[in-house]
Amino acid sequence: MQSSSTVQTKPNGPVAAVFLAAGIGSFVLGLFVVLNEVSTDISNFLKFDANYGLGSGVGPLSGKAILGILAFLVSWLVLGLLFRGREVRFGPILTIALILVAAGFLLTFPPVFEIFLPKEA
Amino acid sequence: MELTDRELWTLIHGMGLGAVFLLAFGGGLASLWSLRSKLVTEEGLAERTPRLLIGTTVMAVVSWLTVIVGAWVVYPWYRAAPPEGLDLAVQSDALREFPRYWLLAGEKTAEWHKFGMEWKEHVAFLAPFLATAVAVAVLYYGAQLAHRGDIRRALLIFFTLAFAAAGIAGLFGALITKAAPVA
Repeated sequence: MQSSSTVQTKPNGPVAAVFLAAGIGSFVLGLFVVLNEVSTDISNFLKFDANYGLGSGVGPLSGKAILGILAFLVSWLVLGLLFRGREVRFGPILTIALILVAAGFLLTFPPVFEIFLPKEA
Repeated sequence: MELTDRELWTLIHGMGLGAVFLLAFGGGLASLWSLRSKLVTEEGLAERTPRLLIGTTVMAVVSWLTVIVGAWVVYPWYRAAPPEGLDLAVQSDALREFPRYWLLAGEKTAEWHKFGMEWKEHVAFLAPFLATAVAVAVLYYGAQLAHRGDIRRALLIFFTLAFAAAGIAGLFGALITKAAPVA
């Protein structure tokens, strides 16, 4: 059996692309969770169920989820084309992806996103 | 013995898809952990790789199905608004049909919504992103993963984070359903 260092493997670009896209999707979802708290106008915009007929009774969660999913899919497509067939520096990309995922976790945590609630007069 | 439509969908969302997700995670994690060129022969890799691919793909597909069913089928029943005139400050039998409002009406139960549901409904959506990234990487590299320690370690981290996101959502889902069932 050959050792790992001598075995030729596929370039890591496509995998780096989907990892980074997962980070971007997580962050965008978290961002819209916060924006939903910040502004009533944004909260109303995020009601994709009522505004665009995407479900019924889901409320702003429909917009937050759909925009997060779109961010994941679109960034995966764009990064996939950019990194196609390339061996990229995986360490820094993984670090950025993990920071974005951590931000996604944090921004969906109620004690964190409630910090952005408008102050009552 | 009978299940209402709502109980059936809640069961599919929580126990059906949730249980498959947990099983797929256990199998996938063990396979990923041991998929190292120094630990397994080429024959061993050929035998384990399809199982790993099935485990990670099932986990990704199930995580998407779980959040879609959760958000677009079960959640609207949870957050349905009571008719006008119903006292929202008293945990009455009539208010029980509107779980979000019933929880908020009680001092001891309000945090199940304010903290539990508010976190659960959002954090759950991270699981399919992370699980999809893992499944795509396994599909792309296949047995070559045994020779890519950097990718395999990243997969283990993402896989565990996907499980954590789904676990938080699942735990709060079970506890909230116990406090105020959607039925």
